[in-house]
Amino acid sequence: MAHFQIKDLSFSYPTAKGKKSLDGVSLSIEKGEYIVLCGKSGSGKTTLLRQLKSVLAPHGKKQGEILFNGTPIEKVNQRVQSAKIGYVMQNPDDQIVTDKVWHELAFGLESLGCDQKTMRARVAEMACYFGIQDWFHRDVANLSGGQKQLLNLASIMAMQPEILILDEPTSQLDPIAASDFLNTVRKINIELGTTVIITEHRLEDIFPYADRAVVMDGGKIIADDTPRNIGKLLYKQKNDMFAAMPTPIRVFYGAGGNGDCPLTVREGRTWLSKTYPEPMVNILPAEELDDEIEKPALSLKELWFRYEKDSPDVLRGVSADVPAGTLYAIVGGNGAGKSTTLKAVCGICKPYRGKVKVFGKPVEKYKSTELFGGCLAMLPQDPKSLFVKKTVREDLAEMTKDEKRIAEIAAVCEIKSLLSSHPYDLSGGEQQRAALAKVLLTEPRLLLLDEPTKGIDSFFKEKLATILCKLKEQGITIVMVSHDVEFCAKYADMVSMFFDGQMLTTDTPRRFFGNNSFYTTAANRMSRHVFSMAVTAEDVVELCRQNKEAAV
Amino acid sequence: MRDAFSKCHPAVNFLFFVGAIGMSVVIQHPAYLLVGLLTGAIYYLLLNGKRGLKTILGLLPVFIILTVINPLLNTLGATPLFYLGSRPYTLEALLYGAVTACMFVAILLWFGCYNKVLTSDKFTCLFGNLIPSISLLLVMVFRMVPNFIRKTQQIIGARKSIGKGISETATTKEKLISGGTVLGALTGWALEGSVVTGDSMRARGYGTAKRSSFMIYRMTWADWILLAVMLTLLGVTIVAACSGQFAAEFVPAIELAPISWGLAAYTCYLLIPPALHIKEAIQWHISRSKI
Repeated sequence: MAHFQIKDLSFSYPTAKGKKSLDGVSLSIEKGEYIVLCGKSGSGKTTLLRQLKSVLAPHGKKQGEILFNGTPIEKVNQRVQSAKIGYVMQNPDDQIVTDKVWHELAFGLESLGCDQKTMRARVAEMACYFGIQDWFHRDVANLSGGQKQLLNLASIMAMQPEILILDEPTSQLDPIAASDFLNTVRKINIELGTTVIITEHRLEDIFPYADRAVVMDGGKIIADDTPRNIGKLLYKQKNDMFAAMPTPIRVFYGAGGNGDCPLTVREGRTWLSKTYPEPMVNILPAEELDDEIEKPALSLKELWFRYEKDSPDVLRGVSADVPAGTLYAIVGGNGAGKSTTLKAVCGICKPYRGKVKVFGKPVEKYKSTELFGGCLAMLPQDPKSLFVKKTVREDLAEMTKDEKRIAEIAAVCEIKSLLSSHPYDLSGGEQQRAALAKVLLTEPRLLLLDEPTKGIDSFFKEKLATILCKLKEQGITIVMVSHDVEFCAKYADMVSMFFDGQMLTTDTPRRFFGNNSFYTTAANRMSRHVFSMAVTAEDVVELCRQNKEAAV
Repeated sequence: MRDAFSKCHPAVNFLFFVGAIGMSVVIQHPAYLLVGLLTGAIYYLLLNGKRGLKTILGLLPVFIILTVINPLLNTLGATPLFYLGSRPYTLEALLYGAVTACMFVAILLWFGCYNKVLTSDKFTCLFGNLIPSISLLLVMVFRMVPNFIRKTQQIIGARKSIGKGISETATTKEKLISGGTVLGALTGWALEGSVVTGDSMRARGYGTAKRSSFMIYRMTWADWILLAVMLTLLGVTIVAACSGQFAAEFVPAIELAPISWGLAAYTCYLLIPPALHIKEAIQWHISRSKI
């Protein structure tokens, strides 16, 4: 008997005027399976997942049937559903109910009315399994994003669910915390046999380990197969989703590979060394960086900063020069002080030593109206913190009275169709673009972006990249802080490594990632033993192509 | 924080403070009040270290002002010190003022200790079983406060970085409008978050059964012994109080009950937390010097 059996399920929201969010979805999920659900934003992934748990199912018109262990889901007792079907959502913060870690772990068990003895045993068990002992007594407010999401998972696992549904659980986490989290999910699947259904943007970490991948588009399931076959299918269909596939798959088909496609970096390396044992062309041109930067748009000199009088320094002598008209990326670990550097430029934090010069003039010499009106602006990490009105249009109108300018910027950011929506009703990628539009209305010449690709899927990332390129053409200098090495490798002009409160090295992306062996892109890790300076999937494909031509 | 008494069961902590603060409120006898004040100060210092000393010194002016003011309002008393116009400023009223001030400061100090020892989670743990829904509400409020502060800072920072912050030259009206906008944005954001929180609660079975409460603290035998000692001492003190040992009259003439065994019991009672604290510090010191 299938664990979940979805039969011809259709669903439309009451406000959608008959447009179906789910259209004839049929899916069978076996016990112990690990299933990846992929698709663009708005393809109906979340709507489908929410149907699998009655309390979370949205209101609307529903047709078809969902069977849980053979019983229609509506007939399964709420208590059984809460315990047996675990559901982890996107936002790590808002899912947490109580103020202490131990209390949160026990929350589900308390709701079910468990007795002390059971609760004690389960909570202890979970704390050990998830490595929570060390922060068991802590306040939830003091946890990092990764710890919070792990706590959410643990508090659901304490109820011993048979099936775990995860809706983009790592979209708000940095790459290291994300892969920690996904490894834990995999461990649960392997060691406990819990069925897992997961949606994710970052497919590199989960695609190779999934039993099945299900691809959704426009509320329909368009493919349901093993990950290896899905890669092939999407390539043949020239589907947009192909761009979201892990690097080895994209390189393999991009270079016209035959046979079984590699899924992991390891498989990719084996395939490359078999196909190109002695490559004739093995390096891409990587121009060196000019040491002399004339008239930098932004220059930082020896910035020192700490948040409180007796806390450790966050910035420990940050120095950098950003040439005008470039996209400058700052990468580095979590909590290294990258975002703080941007805040220091904006004057949200005041460094106690050092100098910030914007277009050659010390930042404190500017009047604030002058600085933020046509000179400098920052897009914060959470775009929601910029929205203060009921519609996107009103929010944009807060910045300028000029209707024509609003229309222009809306066109650049591709949000024309969203202007009358409430900002909170937009998807992550749309919110990001709406916020960017609002920031651009200050007409900045220097634009600071804090993690602009956080929580965005690969299509929106490409859109964002196009927008950034357009801005650069207009002569705007962009400084971006990011965890997303793939994005930086592909689109940045210069990349700096931030570590231990300092800017350590700066180089062009090709030389920067090409010379790193750990902190680098999947494409580089996969190809560095045959090619050098190939840092994006496109680079590797290009080298493959050149080698093929040379061989002919 | 390394405080031995804080590590005891919350029920023990709570009962102690009920006793300590409750007695301070009813006692008027200067000897007993002085004991309450001194022990409170000692424990407060042990809990807060150097920072505690600052607070205690800060309370000194309060003490003095309260003392000096009373004779201005209350002119009864047999021994006038001097006259303000036709109103006498009497010794008895001054003493009575000192006693009231002493009581006030002692209560403040003990409340300060209470705050340090009985943290929010201990409180909710204590009353969670009696009123589960209210205790959950409290816990959620405790969680929301830091969340709100963080989000407010985020919004203010974000608005500043697009030139919508409060400039140095802003008028009061502009400041008010700006504050209102931030508050509005915060409310929207909070509502959005609370929908997710609600989903998360229902997804974990909230409302499907009668809630139970996870007790993270357990009564150990040491807690029971401590509780017994505490109750005995408190009982003796109350008996002493009932037999008139605490009686004190200030106006028109000073009449104090003689000091007796009640004071010993009361002192011992209040010394429990500092004694435990010091005992543990010494034990720790000895066991470390053995290593």
